[in-house]
Amino acid sequence: MIADIIINSLINGSTYAMLAIGFSLIFGVARIVNIAHTAFYMVAAYCIYFATHKLGLPPVVGMLGGVVVATCLGLITYKIFIDPIREHEAAVLIATIALAMALQEVMLIVFTGDYLSVPALVSGYFSITGVKIFYQHLITFVAVLLILVILRAFLTKTRLGLAVRCTAQDREVANLMGMNESRVALITVGISVALAGFTGAVIAPLTIVEPFMWLHPLIMMMAVVVLGGLGSIKGSFIAAYMLGFAEALVVFLIPMGAFLKGSVALSIMIIVLLIRPEGLFGVVFEEER
Amino acid sequence: MDRFKLLTKLSFVALLALTLALPCWGADTIKIGVIGPMQFVQGKGHWNGAMMAAEEINAAGGVALNGKKLKIELIQADSNEFINITDATNAMELLVTRDKVDFIVGGFRSEAVLAMQDIAMEYKTIFIGCGAAHPELCERVANDYDTYKYFFRGTPFNSKFLVKTCFIQMATVGAILKQSLGLEKVKVAIVAEKAMWVDPMIAAAEGFIPKMGMEVAGIWRPSPVATDVMAELSAIQRSEAQMIFTIFSSSVGIPFARQAGELKIPAVQVGINVEAQKEGFWQATQGMGDYVMTLNTYCPGVEYNELTKPFMDTYTKKYGEPPTYTADTYSAIKYAIVPAIEKTGTLDPDKLVAFMENDEHLVPSGKVAYYKDEQGRPTHDIKWGPGYLTSLGVQWQDGKQIGVWPYKWKASPDAPEITYKGIEPYKIAPWVVEKYKK
Amino acid sequence: MHLIWYQLRKFVNVVRTELLVLPSRLVVFLFILVLLLLPLFTSDPYLLRILIQASIFAIFAASWDLLSGFTGQMSFGHALFFGVGAYGAAMLNLRLGIPPIGSIPLGALAAVLAGLIVGIPCLRLRGTYLALTTLAFPIIIIGLVYAFSDITGGELGISGLQRIARSRVANYYIVVSVMLVLVTIIWKITDSHTGIIFHAIREDEVAVRAAGINTTRYKLLAFCLSGFFAGIAGGLYAHFMRIAGPSTLIPSMSFQVVIWSVFGGVVTIWGPVGAVFILFPLLELFRLWPEYRMLMFAFVILLILLYMPQGLLPWIRDRIENECPRCKIRNIATRASCRVCDAQMQ
Repeated sequence: MIADIIINSLINGSTYAMLAIGFSLIFGVARIVNIAHTAFYMVAAYCIYFATHKLGLPPVVGMLGGVVVATCLGLITYKIFIDPIREHEAAVLIATIALAMALQEVMLIVFTGDYLSVPALVSGYFSITGVKIFYQHLITFVAVLLILVILRAFLTKTRLGLAVRCTAQDREVANLMGMNESRVALITVGISVALAGFTGAVIAPLTIVEPFMWLHPLIMMMAVVVLGGLGSIKGSFIAAYMLGFAEALVVFLIPMGAFLKGSVALSIMIIVLLIRPEGLFGVVFEEER
Repeated sequence: MDRFKLLTKLSFVALLALTLALPCWGADTIKIGVIGPMQFVQGKGHWNGAMMAAEEINAAGGVALNGKKLKIELIQADSNEFINITDATNAMELLVTRDKVDFIVGGFRSEAVLAMQDIAMEYKTIFIGCGAAHPELCERVANDYDTYKYFFRGTPFNSKFLVKTCFIQMATVGAILKQSLGLEKVKVAIVAEKAMWVDPMIAAAEGFIPKMGMEVAGIWRPSPVATDVMAELSAIQRSEAQMIFTIFSSSVGIPFARQAGELKIPAVQVGINVEAQKEGFWQATQGMGDYVMTLNTYCPGVEYNELTKPFMDTYTKKYGEPPTYTADTYSAIKYAIVPAIEKTGTLDPDKLVAFMENDEHLVPSGKVAYYKDEQGRPTHDIKWGPGYLTSLGVQWQDGKQIGVWPYKWKASPDAPEITYKGIEPYKIAPWVVEKYKK
Repeated sequence: MHLIWYQLRKFVNVVRTELLVLPSRLVVFLFILVLLLLPLFTSDPYLLRILIQASIFAIFAASWDLLSGFTGQMSFGHALFFGVGAYGAAMLNLRLGIPPIGSIPLGALAAVLAGLIVGIPCLRLRGTYLALTTLAFPIIIIGLVYAFSDITGGELGISGLQRIARSRVANYYIVVSVMLVLVTIIWKITDSHTGIIFHAIREDEVAVRAAGINTTRYKLLAFCLSGFFAGIAGGLYAHFMRIAGPSTLIPSMSFQVVIWSVFGGVVTIWGPVGAVFILFPLLELFRLWPEYRMLMFAFVILLILLYMPQGLLPWIRDRIENECPRCKIRNIATRASCRVCDAQMQ
């Protein structure tokens, strides 16, 4: 039982962590609450379906294709719809919601509302201490750690990463220092959407592909990001596993109440916020000038 | 931006023109509204079934009424009921007031149909529900006959009978397991999505299973839209259940079947799994959904009566896939509405209702008859039982749906034995046999 | 006799100097007139139905603007108040038999209670944290609705509620009148002392506190007022549709109200109301293309936001009216000099 819970929470947590890191990045740098983040995750999942089911290509090609398509789509829509109105936060918020709705509708029109699925990258399972785990779950877990390592290296060791971190800290001063703030924002959007696409590629075999699949991860992802503190990647990572653990606890300890796992996770988030209004590791921003 | 405003103005003018033009259409046709979630498989079934019926009747000349032959005109309304109940009620209102339909068929999600029913009843339009199983829809008819008498249930039979059929199927499979595998007592794990319509079924199952000489190993209630059920499956395996009684109507049916198949959980699945009724189930589970058994109305190869095969063959040829139960809008139009019009010679709803509620007729899935409740009040709900409607038990074998129940079934000790044409024996999943066979 | 003549002349004078002087006021007047007189020209039940639903959502949107626009407490879970109001009215009506005239206000009081419960944790939160936290509440309530499905009816909701009135036209008049009254009240609130404090809290809460005002009390007041009006909207919705279900609590409902309000222009009250009356019928118009309906809707939003990020209605208003540089009174754009202080308009 304990092994079940731990393993389950690691798996759930990895999913949320991957999504939350991308979301946190884009918020920290560009101050955009990107409601459409999980919608790009959905686009990538559909790309894999299209590649494997309609074109008959191997899943890996589908994954790469999914990431590329999602990233391009993200960059293009950002440039056309979001960039011109970046100064108006409320408008940006609505624009991302409308964008997510538009993507959902396009998927609905092209693929209809039927439930679809995608083959796993590596099928089959293995056992640890009597608990069965799919290889795909392992891939998910490894992928998260990999992303974290790469991202950390990028942010701390490269010049571009430095620019990203500076822009996150203080936009205007970064601009003054010669970093093209809008270009940095664009690159961050690209990285963030690529992360969302990569998440879709890795998680898609574990879930059902349908036009409304972006809503539930969105809620959980936002809970994770808020709990961990907006703008803090470390916070998102830790909060993801915390909430994953909470969900696994609910499912295993109250089998009749498994549907309540979302509510419990959100309640935990609220309670923590009562104590620490910026989230666990939240970076409290100076009032933007 | 001026172009945008112009476009809006033009659109309004266009709508106005269309509105004025609409009443001029179809003065000599019978208008039947088909309402359902048209972007989903259930709504497509509604529309396809209705289209097939309308085309067949119109090809034969039309509906005979007062010496004239009137054609059937179908009007599609997308209720969008999965997403927005407001939308569903607006679509229904549009059908009745703008399009002025004479009859309505369709509806799927119970929450929406309850609201849509009210609107149809307000305008005294005959509405045949083809998808919602909630008993309340027909209880309203019994309790307030004058308001709700225009509603009839077309399909499926209501959830009380659903439960009954499931239990019979479960008992049958339980007996097969006991005999083939030499088990002393069959342990049953109940896995039911968290939804209201399921609650009474679980209570009933808890009482029924011990009576059949089986044991309840545990009850699990995942969310109807859960995508990961590893937790439940691990626990079920630990409970050593040999049979899983599933009650799923939502998407959770897919990951459950898929993950149970991938992990080769040593238990057979029987019960209700609505996703397993669809053709797309095999792809959706990546082929892991083998040996899953579910209640279903239609199955390729199985015939209830002489109407079943022509219906299924024509439908499959026309639309590329076998029909699901929402396609019973076909029966609603062809065997309920049209004969009622032709036999009573009128379109008056009250006279039609009086005729329809006593009319028994054959349909591709059996025989439709409406029963009265214990107080003798008409419910306009369909009868269940041998000779009427029983539905089927369908098992996925090797990527195909095979009918496995009723197979030599007796409804009661002195009832005749029933096996429909095309039913084949049930197969136990090989990994289950491997685990338990002594 | 002369008194009547005098009153008539005074009325005409007021109309000339106050109403006809600004196109925006004229539009509002005509809008109210059309709404009230429409049933005399048409009895199309579908049209009346659309307008009734639009009125209900207009109250809902106005209440959102009060909280999130004026007081700056961005609420992404406004469906909570709507749903609690709906369920409250439904339960009171079905279980206790209270008629709509009683169940709707009482349901709204339940929503006010919800407002307090939500407002208290949110006091210390800012900006995005506040928005995302408010998003969580309706979802938790949905979980509770499913958990206690015997009382709440689970996914089927509570059905069989009483109508507001017998006929469609009577329904229409009741709902539209309630909408006009409530929106006016909300508008008056924003114009009052309390409203100014709400404005100030949005702009700079620290300064307001430094001025000695208890911002906690005012923020909670904003939550409660907003919750009350949204709860009334929810109760009206439940009694009009005659069913109250989980669809009143879902995130889509919260997102919809935010979309309408931002589209129409925040911090105005008339912005969201106008936006609802534009977007809701537009969505119904798009039924002509049922497959592309929501897609077109999303595109309309995106395009309008691209060119008018402040909102559609303020943009229109800025095209037809100008502000006098000296006395700040609004004038019609075609004027060369201000109508009050006679200064030159740019």
